[in-house]
Amino acid sequence: MIQNKEQWLEEASKKIKVPKELIEKAFHDELNGNPSIDAPLEVPDIMDITYKYTYGGISRFFREIRDNKQLYGTKCTHCGKVWLPPRINCNECYAPTKWVKLGSTAKIITYTIVYYATSVFYGKTPYVCAFVKVEGSDTLIMQNVFLEDVKKARVGMKLKIQFKEYRNGDMGDFWFVPAGEDLQHE
Amino acid sequence: MNKVGIVGVGTTAFKARWIEKTYYELAYDAAKLALEDAGIDKKDVGGVVYGIYNEFFERQFMPDVYIHNYIGMGLKPSVRVATGGATGGAAVFVGWTWIASGLYDIVMVLGVEKATDNYNYAVGHPTPETLKAILFSGDMTFENPMGLTAAASYALPMIAHIDKYGTPTEKQMAMVSVKNHKNAINNPIAQSPKLLTVDDVLNSKMITYPFKFYDNCLYSEGASAIILASEKVAKSLSDNPAWITGVGLSLDKAFAGERDDITIFTSSLYAGNDAYKMAGIKNPIKELDFAELHDAFTGAEILSYEAFNFCKPGDGGKLIEDGVVEMGGSLPVNPSGGLIGCGHAVGATGVMQTGEAALQVQGRAEKRQVKNARVGLVQSIGGPATAWTAAMIVERQDKIRVQRGKGTKGQGVKGARMKRTKGKGSKGARVQQARGKR
Ligand SMILES: [Zn+2]
Repeated sequence: MIQNKEQWLEEASKKIKVPKELIEKAFHDELNGNPSIDAPLEVPDIMDITYKYTYGGISRFFREIRDNKQLYGTKCTHCGKVWLPPRINCNECYAPTKWVKLGSTAKIITYTIVYYATSVFYGKTPYVCAFVKVEGSDTLIMQNVFLEDVKKARVGMKLKIQFKEYRNGDMGDFWFVPAGEDLQHE
Repeated sequence: MNKVGIVGVGTTAFKARWIEKTYYELAYDAAKLALEDAGIDKKDVGGVVYGIYNEFFERQFMPDVYIHNYIGMGLKPSVRVATGGATGGAAVFVGWTWIASGLYDIVMVLGVEKATDNYNYAVGHPTPETLKAILFSGDMTFENPMGLTAAASYALPMIAHIDKYGTPTEKQMAMVSVKNHKNAINNPIAQSPKLLTVDDVLNSKMITYPFKFYDNCLYSEGASAIILASEKVAKSLSDNPAWITGVGLSLDKAFAGERDDITIFTSSLYAGNDAYKMAGIKNPIKELDFAELHDAFTGAEILSYEAFNFCKPGDGGKLIEDGVVEMGGSLPVNPSGGLIGCGHAVGATGVMQTGEAALQVQGRAEKRQVKNARVGLVQSIGGPATAWTAAMIVERQDKIRVQRGKGTKGQGVKGARMKRTKGKGSKGARVQQARGKR
């Protein structure tokens, strides 16, 4: 039996970063019941690692987005293919690539509408994930498309890029909206 | 290459939660069942291949090392396979190579997964955390931040396919759900045996367009093991072993935006073609007696009919409409109930389905037995946008295949098999051709 419920909850809450009330609810029987000594015993836990991650050779891609609201791809110096997501070499030619400016329009090649997501995306459902072809690029990039009505998403839909006001240097800094509409998503 | 037999099968119940067992306790149960089924002792096992997908599910990195210890296999060769949803099938593939190469006479392939020890305290349910754990398999820089769930990963090629061919329709997908939930009623290990109507499926809530609740498989916990053996050992252990006569493995571009064609399951096409060629199968819809496919989502089963050449691209939905893939049809798909009926205990799933195929061809599948099941196909899919496929052909003793070959069709099949196993030239050609294609 848990000796000091309050202290146990306090420590659990600190450990797994979940409010005490929710932990109390989840462990109600263990805290308040009298489970047999052989009953399965559950414990609160978390796996948590912090990083200082490097974008390596494609760092410029994220600086251009963050600092200049500009999308860049990379062009193979051998075959001329334009990559987005960018890469510093071509996996077909094994040749280096160089940075090229891309346009601000795009087209949906395929998409889906997510109604049920992970806790990270609560409050954002339903949202559209799409493979889009950005003007000037030969490959597709995955990005969110924001629409007034998600059910209006279609293959072939024309899009324009929008940037977040305060940008962090990650893929969340931009998204797409229908080209013809005056829709500002934030 | 040496012949590879399946001489033992053992699967625990697939359940929403195995609160009373840890992952290695579940693994032990499956190992024990498979060893007993094969009639061998653990000391007879030459090595073990583990199929375990997700570290965050198990709350453990390198979980295989603790299982190996726990099930008493210490100091024997062992390797873990992790290929997303295809983990179980890919583990069978690796185990097959260990026997086919002549390295070992008996190999255990053991898949296990505990997917619901994750827990989301805000909703009081594991699923959001389970999805989060899976999301780490999407590219962390370019895909993870977009909220691409496993269902979305399948939905992207699905929508592209629907846009191009107009199929599968929502009704065709719903029919697959009804079939697989119903088939599971005959499977004692299944998590979701249910009699549903097409309307039940169509009216269930949207999860990820175009998949509704009943179009999805459920996350599951469970373990499954099979015992593979060389020809000599297999024949000494059983007068009716199952044989894995063809294998294929393909990994498509994980950045699916680089693919030439996103409307089809290309890795299944390649893995299937390799497995068919090895087994000498030329006309799958006629030669296969059943298939255990990776129906993580109903539409995935239909696109798999097409990728495995049961029909032309775009025509998959007709096979469910015409009843071809129903239990009474000419090519029943997922007699076990598949992932939708049994649940998806990821690392265990492909092993379970390979074991099911063995039970079918051995005539041991009890209530879910397909009549005269001689040759079956097993598929495991995994990775971003169905990047990975492992495919296996499982069949009965050669003599049965040869007997069938008394007709005109079978002779050709037998001839192709002989060429494959005996003629080095044809094998070289196959490898070369496969390389050229990729
Ligand atoms: Zn190039």
